[in-house]
Amino acid sequence: MSQMDPDAVSKAFVEHYYSTFDTNRVGLAGLYQEASMLTFEGQKIQGVQSIVAKLTSLPFNQCKHHISTVDCQPSGPASGMLVFVSGNLQLAGEEHTLKFSQMFHLMPTPQGSFYVFNDIFRLNYA
Amino acid sequence: MDPDAVAKAFVEHYYSTFDGNRPGLVSLYQEGSMLTFEGQKIQGSQNIVAKLTSLPFNQCKHNITTVDCQPSGPAGGMLVFVSGNLQLAGEQHALKFSQMFHLISNQGTYYVFNDIFRLNYA
Repeated sequence: MSQMDPDAVSKAFVEHYYSTFDTNRVGLAGLYQEASMLTFEGQKIQGVQSIVAKLTSLPFNQCKHHISTVDCQPSGPASGMLVFVSGNLQLAGEEHTLKFSQMFHLMPTPQGSFYVFNDIFRLNYA
Repeated sequence: MDPDAVAKAFVEHYYSTFDGNRPGLVSLYQEGSMLTFEGQKIQGSQNIVAKLTSLPFNQCKHNITTVDCQPSGPAGGMLVFVSGNLQLAGEQHALKFSQMFHLISNQGTYYVFNDIFRLNYA
């Protein structure tokens, strides 16, 4: 994994993250750890259990994330990766999609994959 | 200092420098700093400031809507996530943008190590 092109790694992570969110939201528990932090529309949440509780309690059952842009940069000597995403969130039954921006700070796991250490989500209102 | 207060103070300083003295941004970046500006990757304070001072507008004003921050790890860094509007002189409509900074502490102040900027098109 560490020899893969960082842009390819971040793109693969983003696709995996949002497909998990859209089809198996509880499965997001595999992408966070105890020290992980989420700020969701200004609300601060810490730890995988609290984070997944928040995401699975959002007031919609079905959604689809459509990604417009993915930018990534290495975050420093700890081999972390910053990923900055913008896109649209389509909720089942809603006519208009919601625009959003989200940033992830990914940290490597001993098994060669990544988990989300930092996560900040904001809707982009018109 | 409270991290939220530090992030807010940094954001105000960054954008007032950008809007009032764009070459002054050079003191906020270092040699290892990275900027991705609308998908274009730039490294190093000199190249970054060259890019920002060559943007096709003379006067602008950033109006900040939201600022979120989190500590980035044991090394004491801070992630700052900003959304707002960019008003260009002479343009009727403001441009919406989102930007993230990764700030690293250096002898009591912060500099920008990572910077990613994206316009939010309607």
